[in-house]
Amino acid sequence: MTAEPDVDEHEALLEFLYACPVGLIEIDGNGTVGIMNAHAMKHLLPLAPDGDVGDLFGTMEGCAPELRNLWQGFSAKRGMVCDGHRVSVDLGAGRGGREPLVLALTVVKLSAERGLVTITDVSQQVAHERRLRQAETWFASLIGDVNDYAVLALAPDGTVASVNASFTRQTGHLCDEVAGQPLDRVLADAARPGALCLSDQLCVAERDGWCLDESWQVRLDGTRYWCQRLFAAQVGDDGRTVTGYSVVLRDVARQGGGDTTELQRLLTCDHLTGAANRGQFRRVLEREHGRWQASGASPSLLLIDIDHFKKVNDTHGHPAGDAVLRQFADACRAKLRATDLFARIGGEEFAALLPATSADEAARVAEKLRRTAATLEVEGGHAPIRITASVGFAAMGEAGSTDALMALADQRLYQAKRGGRDRACGPELLQLA
Amino acid sequence: MATLTQTQFDLVDIDELHAMDGTDRDALPYGVIGLDADLVAIVYNATEAGFAGVRPERVIGAPFFENSAQCMNNFMVAQRFADEPVLDAIIPYVLTLRMRPTKVRLRLLARPDVPLRFLLIER
Repeated sequence: MTAEPDVDEHEALLEFLYACPVGLIEIDGNGTVGIMNAHAMKHLLPLAPDGDVGDLFGTMEGCAPELRNLWQGFSAKRGMVCDGHRVSVDLGAGRGGREPLVLALTVVKLSAERGLVTITDVSQQVAHERRLRQAETWFASLIGDVNDYAVLALAPDGTVASVNASFTRQTGHLCDEVAGQPLDRVLADAARPGALCLSDQLCVAERDGWCLDESWQVRLDGTRYWCQRLFAAQVGDDGRTVTGYSVVLRDVARQGGGDTTELQRLLTCDHLTGAANRGQFRRVLEREHGRWQASGASPSLLLIDIDHFKKVNDTHGHPAGDAVLRQFADACRAKLRATDLFARIGGEEFAALLPATSADEAARVAEKLRRTAATLEVEGGHAPIRITASVGFAAMGEAGSTDALMALADQRLYQAKRGGRDRACGPELLQLA
Repeated sequence: MATLTQTQFDLVDIDELHAMDGTDRDALPYGVIGLDADLVAIVYNATEAGFAGVRPERVIGAPFFENSAQCMNNFMVAQRFADEPVLDAIIPYVLTLRMRPTKVRLRLLARPDVPLRFLLIER
């Protein structure tokens, strides 16, 4: 035996790592990259505008700012920090007609000073899952008299058009009793804080194509059961108008803790702020684009960037910076409608997607969010931390595509920054003070 | 023997690279990779083999951007060879030579009348 590794063996190992179709990266406690293979570089270099990929968290900040939080918030000495955590790299359409790029990151903490990261391109899987989900929504709404599933058909105004026989078995209500009734007379409305009410759920189904929720329901005989609901919007032959909704009800034994609301939150929300994540933002943006093409209802997009945020982190530390992001996101969401989507799309960059909203209305919302930032005070040790934000906004009708909409709003955000920050910029005739 | 301009990464041209024999290419101070129309490696000089730590016989004859250089298998490099028949561009890049991020300069050369595309790597 020799102490030096055999040259052939060493070369074979290098060759194996060059060809490995999964990205492998070793980081230290601060995210500084030690070793990485070629596949990892393939994905990281395009994310680093200055070509510096030495700091993994810095490189990922633009599309997965939560990675630093996940690593820092992981208190165990070793273990899985995240497993297949999805990162939406492309927000609009994918480059060169391909599916939008989605990466899956797994991070394992080996010690306080050492972590191992794998990166896999899951764009194809994500596209496949999306098609499958659409198919499932359809199948669910087509299911007939299966005992477990009660199906209601709703008119466009939300009143019950018809129900199937298993609805009577599940709830005790006869078909004739409920036909023509508004939905909130038939189903119990959400009582939980923060839950969407029934009419909001219909709006979300109209926006996203579907909406999943669950809550207690009461049968005619007064007994209650845990009910999962799927709302699906149906669009007429003209591809324009919503012609009704299907509602599928499932009587499920409630299982401790893991309800679908939690699952939905994990899949669609940003870890730190609770705002929608990039993946969810991309899906809703695509859907709103489709709806604009079909019906002409133009959504508006606001891009919001907290001014000089790096200074907050540098002066007060990352935990204080995180608190600012959380409270700013909470305050913004409180100012928006239930059907608006508020998402964190970068480190200190947020987006608000407002369905069927004109540029005039968007201007009012932009100003409201700007004021929200300017009046926010976050506990910061000696003195409260104060921030301002810049906003750029645009309407789908002006842009024509998701990519062009993002670019236009981004250009106006830049204009707001250049104009002195703490301001909102939109179409030229609508410039705000 | 290579001439003085041929030894210079910025100045060498695609005809010269194509005309050189293996010994001359091996003597160049920068890495040279020659690719056919399917982006299979046909030329892999000794300098590049030294940078990467893999002998030419392990690289030649295989799809280069899939097997040996996935770090360049994106729109910044591989896609340009596929999309642009005429190409002479120098770009700063970062490779993972022996699994360490390494700053390099790349030169991408292609012309329809030359059977090989060339990728030059300067450390």
